[in-house]
Amino acid sequence: MMQMSPQTPITLIGGYLGAGKTTFINKLLNSGRLPSRTAVLVNDFGDINVDEHLIRSGSKSDQVIGLANGCVCCSIADDLTAALEALKSSVIERVLLECSGVAEPQKARLQCHYPGYYPHASVVLVDALNHAQRCTDKYVGALVSAQVKQADLIVMSKSSANPDFQLNILLPSVDADAEDAVEIVLGWQGTNDSAETGFGDRAPKFFTETWRCQESLSAEKLIQRLDALPASVHRVKGFVATNAGIVEIQRVGTDMQITPWQSLSRPDHLGLVFISHTAENLALLGWAD
Amino acid sequence: MLTLYNARSIITMNESLPRASAVLVRDGMIIEVGEPERMEPWLRHEEYVVDDRFAEQVICPGFIDPHLHPSMAAVLLPMEFITAMRWKLPWGEVQPVTDSDGFDERMAALSDMKGVGEPLFIWGYHQLWHGPMSRARIETVTGDKPTVVWHRSFHEVYMNAAAMDMIGVVAAEIKPGMQIDIERGWFFEGGLGYAISRLNPWILAPEQYAAGLQRLKQVVHSGGHTTIGDLATGMFNLTAEAEALSQHLEGDDVPFRTRLVAHGTVLTKGGVPPQQGPELAEALLQRNSHRLHFGRHIKLFSDGAFFSQLAQLQAPGYIDGHHGEWLSTPEVLEQHIRSYWYAGYQIHVHVTGDLGLQLTLDILQKMQEEKPRFNHGFTLEHFGFSTPEQIRQIKALGAQVSANVYYLHELSDSYTQSGIGYERASQMARLGSCFKAGINTTVHSDFTMAPAEPLNSMWVAVNRINHVGDVMGLTEAISPEQALQAITLNAAHVLGMADITGSIRAGKRADFTVLDDDPLTCDPLCLRDINIAATVFEGKVFPLV
Repeated sequence: MMQMSPQTPITLIGGYLGAGKTTFINKLLNSGRLPSRTAVLVNDFGDINVDEHLIRSGSKSDQVIGLANGCVCCSIADDLTAALEALKSSVIERVLLECSGVAEPQKARLQCHYPGYYPHASVVLVDALNHAQRCTDKYVGALVSAQVKQADLIVMSKSSANPDFQLNILLPSVDADAEDAVEIVLGWQGTNDSAETGFGDRAPKFFTETWRCQESLSAEKLIQRLDALPASVHRVKGFVATNAGIVEIQRVGTDMQITPWQSLSRPDHLGLVFISHTAENLALLGWAD
Repeated sequence: MLTLYNARSIITMNESLPRASAVLVRDGMIIEVGEPERMEPWLRHEEYVVDDRFAEQVICPGFIDPHLHPSMAAVLLPMEFITAMRWKLPWGEVQPVTDSDGFDERMAALSDMKGVGEPLFIWGYHQLWHGPMSRARIETVTGDKPTVVWHRSFHEVYMNAAAMDMIGVVAAEIKPGMQIDIERGWFFEGGLGYAISRLNPWILAPEQYAAGLQRLKQVVHSGGHTTIGDLATGMFNLTAEAEALSQHLEGDDVPFRTRLVAHGTVLTKGGVPPQQGPELAEALLQRNSHRLHFGRHIKLFSDGAFFSQLAQLQAPGYIDGHHGEWLSTPEVLEQHIRSYWYAGYQIHVHVTGDLGLQLTLDILQKMQEEKPRFNHGFTLEHFGFSTPEQIRQIKALGAQVSANVYYLHELSDSYTQSGIGYERASQMARLGSCFKAGINTTVHSDFTMAPAEPLNSMWVAVNRINHVGDVMGLTEAISPEQALQAITLNAAHVLGMADITGSIRAGKRADFTVLDDDPLTCDPLCLRDINIAATVFEGKVFPLV
């Protein structure tokens, strides 16, 4: 048995039933971009599909599938403790953990404070088509809302079926179908004041910052400030009050969209979320107040 | 050979002949119950003996606990009990210990009884009564004897340094942020899984587990049961459990039968589609033996644990605003229910809060609209919180209720203070309304959640007294007759065994519980103290000393 790193980060992948967790995990598994020595723990292999040429050992019936670069995909069948203990005998540097559809990220994170491991980030899948309705469901409304509030990063699925859907919350988010979605999830570092993880040195890293602003700005100035952002800022998203009314900002790379806010009610949260490649803080970006 | 048992009185639970003074038995079957002189026509044709050993006692139908967990009990029963509530166990009654000094004194006494190096496992600690627990506190009492103190809820455990050494807890592995406080020797939530994985060689050791099942056998016998329901076979491991049960709960020395109801979500775990569940459940029938029966029953789960305040509640919810939890998504529960409903199964659903109950009733309503069924036996298990309106729905949908009435005794006071307030806390286990509505209603222990003593369940259901002595929601109390019906005939209906047990009439199995006092005429406050003299299982007498 080789020595494993003393603390293995766990990225939780949560979201309600049907939010697209399995689809996204299949995308991760088949992307060919999993950093070496990654373990992907799924609840069951029911809908997991890995391209045959990527499988190095095992099959669905073995509960463990070996992939390239020392990566594995394991079925945990509701026993996380057993799965985490079993992983200690292999060389694993990071874990991606599929949560059950009824898990709350906060509680699930606590389970990941297991000796030898720590919770690194909570990624929550949100289904653009059904999320709003689910939030009003008498049985799971509270749960589905809590899942989103407790996320570090939102991955939005099925947005092509409901392109106008917006989450009324200031959280970094990425579309599940976006080209860089897998990269962002795998390279996720969270806020720049958190300790940097040791994994994924070869892969791009992504940091996030949230800028909150309740006051009204001049629209012209806002655009100037956005244009001045360095290339390391990968994505910007949010709502800002301007002299021309509230606008929605969406910027991917250098491609920026500014749309007037149509709804009568004001968004609950005004501000911008930045996702960038470097751990620059807001002051360096020129966004400190 | 016929045996004629005379008794001071026989309570038959057959409404057509409620009382009798003799019962005639052959080969484990009741031939006739009534007055001895009317049994002459049988006696003229066959040899018989008259057995007067119960002549001064009262014979009831054998008691039935329709919902307990032998596998969980097998883990717990080898441990020593220090509890805030009274627990009557066959090897001695555990007196309540309600303060921290008392806890330490008892822990010291137990420690002295153990040999050198023999670990001490204690269950039943609760901070509300026994004060804060820590490794240092354990060490002042038991020193370097490995000592493990389990919380009453089983969701936390404390250990001294010797116990941590014994099981191989590596202090260097424990980092801040984990749900382990190494200084206090405290393991909870995520940290508990770590502790259990290392404690397993002790608590699940085959000889330990076997000893636990033997103790369970004694508990079931001394509670006066002749039938029990294992309401989640497979909670740890289906094959291992089924094998251990057939080794220990089958055979001439076992004074009861067990209805095994498989844990439905375990049956199809690992991504097996719920539609395949009934087929897998059907295969279990091949394991049936004389005393151990899987039937076409399945256990499913709605909302979280009652003892942990994880029941899902309708508005206004919990005082502190937290929410309960779902044990699976409503969609998945519905898929499972649908697949067993269509396959003609009797479905038992674990429901604790009124929102968990509502979800289950809404699904049942949908099933009735898709594929109407009569006499389907759909059973709501635990039944902590409910509303009066839901009682009407339960009746209209043809469902039945199996309640853990002990919640009211142990928890209604603390849930009044720090849970849900007095109004709803006093109406836990809404049994009076169930009986008034004509719903088939039984009570269970969910052992080890409550003592496996049907007379104790009866006592709570009739008196509705909580542990501090307050009477809670008296309008929901049931009569002693209804309570006795609950632990006999109604329970037999819930387990699908009313054709063979649950009452005393010609043609049923000779399953009796023999009492020193009459539970229908004694002071209701004395119900739980009635001495059980013996049980009779299929005609064979099993005395209780």
